[in-house]
This record gives sequence, C-alpha cells and structure tokens, in this order.
Amino acid sequence: MSRLSPGDLARVNARLLFLQASLHRRGMQNIGLLFALDAAADKLGRDRLLERHTDYFNTNPNLAPIVVGGILRIEEEGDSAGPASVSRFKQAAASALAAAGDVLFSGALRPLALTLACLSVIYSFFAGLLAVWVLYNTALLVGRRRGIAFGYARGWGLVESFSGPRVQRWLAGARGLAALGAGLLAGLLVNKSSAAGTYTVITLVGVAALIWLLTRRGMTAPRLALALFPLAWVIALLLP
Amino acid sequence: MTDLLPIALIAGLLALDERAGWQSLLSEPVFSAAIIGALTGVLEPALQCGLVLQFVWLTIGQPRGTRRANVVVGGVVGAGTVCLVQNHTGEPNVAFVVAMGVVWGLVAGEFGARITEMTGSLRERRLEAFKLPADRAVASRNLTVAVVGSALFVVVAEILQVLFLLPTAAATTEALAARVTPSLAAGAKLWITVLPAFALVAVGRAFYQSRNPARFAIIGFAIGVLLL
Repeated sequence: MSRLSPGDLARVNARLLFLQASLHRRGMQNIGLLFALDAAADKLGRDRLLERHTDYFNTNPNLAPIVVGGILRIEEEGDSAGPASVSRFKQAAASALAAAGDVLFSGALRPLALTLACLSVIYSFFAGLLAVWVLYNTALLVGRRRGIAFGYARGWGLVESFSGPRVQRWLAGARGLAALGAGLLAGLLVNKSSAAGTYTVITLVGVAALIWLLTRRGMTAPRLALALFPLAWVIALLLP
Repeated sequence: MTDLLPIALIAGLLALDERAGWQSLLSEPVFSAAIIGALTGVLEPALQCGLVLQFVWLTIGQPRGTRRANVVVGGVVGAGTVCLVQNHTGEPNVAFVVAMGVVWGLVAGEFGARITEMTGSLRERRLEAFKLPADRAVASRNLTVAVVGSALFVVVAEILQVLFLLPTAAATTEALAARVTPSLAAGAKLWITVLPAFALVAVGRAFYQSRNPARFAIIGFAIGVLLL
C-alpha cells in the first residue's frame, strides 16, 4: 500500500521544478533534492530521511523526477538493504539518466524546438512560435509528472528500465528527428540567401568554412561574430 | 525609456527560468525577443535581432555545464536596444538598428557570462556552507530559504546587469544611427547577412560524425533547399 498520494508526488514534483536553483559545485543538485524530498518526508514517516540524502547528486533536471520517484519508493519500503544501498541506487540511477537526458534534451528535443522556432520566425508565423513553446513545455511537464509516478512505481527496478536497447532506439529516433529539423533550417538559410544572389550564397558558405576552422581552433562563436563586424564594415567601404 | 524597467524585470524572470527553473525555452533569444517586441510594440525588428542572436548561440548537444554566453542578458539587451531605439526615434534605417542590437546582444552575452561566473561563485560559497539542521522544522525552513534565496539572487543579478547595459546600448545605438554613412550601414547589413553561417556550422558540427543523424540532416537540408 503506497503511503504517498498523487498529490504528495505532485508537491515533490513542483519543488523539483526548481532543482537547479541551488546548484553548486560541491554537492551539485543536493540542496534542490533535499528541498523536494522535504515535501514528502513527514508522510513517509522515516527517521532521518533528509540526512541520508545530503551527499552529491547530479542528473538531468528534466529526468530528475524519475530518480526521485525511485528514492521515495525505496525510502517508503524501508531501505532494507541499508542506507549505503539507497545512496548507490541514487548515484546509479542519476548517472544513467543524466547521460540519457542530456542526449534527449540537449541533443534532440531542445535543438528541434529551437530550429522549429527559428523556422516560424523566418516565415513570420508567430502562432508557430507560440505552438512550439506550448508543445515543448507540455511534453516537458507531462514527462516530469509521469516520470515521478514511473520512478515511484518501479523503485529498485528503475536502473534496469533505462539500460535496455529500447531506450537507445528512442534516443536515436529523437536525435534523427532533431537532425532532420536542423537540416531543414540549414537548407532554408541557404535557400533564402540564394534568393539574394549567387555571391551571397558563396559568401555564406565561405564564412561558414572560416567559422568552422576558427571555432575548431578554440575561438568562440560570439567573439568570432563580433570580430567579423569591423571586417564587414571594411569590406563595405572598399566595395563600390 | 519608460520600457526599461519592465524589460529588466522580464530579464529577471527569464533568468529564473533558465538558471533556477525548468528551462522552458523562454530565455532563448528567439523567444525573449518575441516577448520584448510584443511588450514594446516593435515585434518584427526585435524578432530579427533575436533570430540572428539565436543563430550565433545555436548549440546542439552541448554537455551540461559547458560555459556559454549569458543568453538571457544578451537576448534581452539585444532586442531591448532595438525596441527602445525604434520607439524613441522611429529610426528609418531599421537594418542598422537591428545590427547594432545584435552587436550589443553579443557584447552583453559575453559580459553577462563573466558577471554570472563571479556572482555565481559568491552564491555557491553560501550554498556550500549549507548544513542540514537536526530539527525537522528548522531544516525545512532553511532549505526553503536556501532555494528561494538562491533563485532571487539570480533574478536580482540579472536585472541589475540589464539596467546597466541596456541604457548604454540604446544611447550608443541612437547616437551612431544619427551619424551613420551609407557605406557603414551597408557594412552592418552585410554582417547580418553572413551571421546565419553560424547556424550552418552548428548543424554541421552536431551531426557530421554520426552516420544516422547525418543522413536525416542531409534529407532535411535537401528539403530546405529544394522545397521550402
């Protein structure tokens, strides 16, 4: 019989939205985790629950609810294998989900949403911009809500759930979709510049090659963009 | 300049989303420019500025914790400059104002990253000293204070940066716009035209090494070139 109601899980989940607020180098997200667990600590009725979770914690913030759901289940069941094991579980689940979450969010969903947002702006389709934001955040918040429930249902079995080939297939699919969106944006930019003339396309591709070379040598994109500014002025002054 | 304070407050809220909240995308320049443009009634030029800044800052698959320009301060200062100047002077040379907005956005992004690093280490020192009290009620209160305090610190730091940078950027842009020669305006336009090259590089770098996504990117590219 579960001691935590969906309302309790929702409260923990709401606090997890601010997991990153207290990020620091030594414990990373540990204060944010304690803040979230604090919402359910009294209901779980476990002595010294928070004291067991003061150690280092770091995972992808969007997948953190899954790990926290698992922790809540283990704590509820009484952590029969001892406090060291809940800590090991936490680190194992956090590491597995950090890697998967970074691929899914930084490498796929976020770039996909941003490229679609850029396409909407290029076409002056402002409803599209709003739709991208709404869809992205709906997916994120629904995923977080389901994530904590999933983690709470699985408990110890959580780590195995994320190490199978099915997860890898999902990640590859998401990354493929992001690549398609990014390719579309790149193609559209070339297409738009070709409308301004062949010289514009050649300049664009030439500048892209220069950026590629210089960023590989460690120059950052914003600084390089700023360095190109006076150069463009000099070229404009020299051209008839 | 009556819009300055609301714009700075928006920057604070966007910083809360980016560094303390769940990163809803609003802090990305293409979205922050839309908010500021809608607020000030200068949507189209603000979006042009936000879009170009987005191209330069587009990152795909960058690991968490990698140092990045402060896109909140940069995006808000860039779009804010365009909106304040357009509202104040109604400058006909919109392309030049947008280019200056991008310049200031990039400068503010770099400056903001430095300031965030410095203020961040101050904030972290306080958090690292956090000790969980044995008393449950006190522990609960201290955790709330730590999290809310840390979030508010980020908000205030970002508001102050915008309050310092935005008037400077707007005043400089206004002064330059009044004196700009046609060739310099053409230079600014040329610069804006080549900045999408940063997005091409970001896309190429993200996918060229892995075969399967590269295939999808090529298909997308072909569709973009031929059909869109």
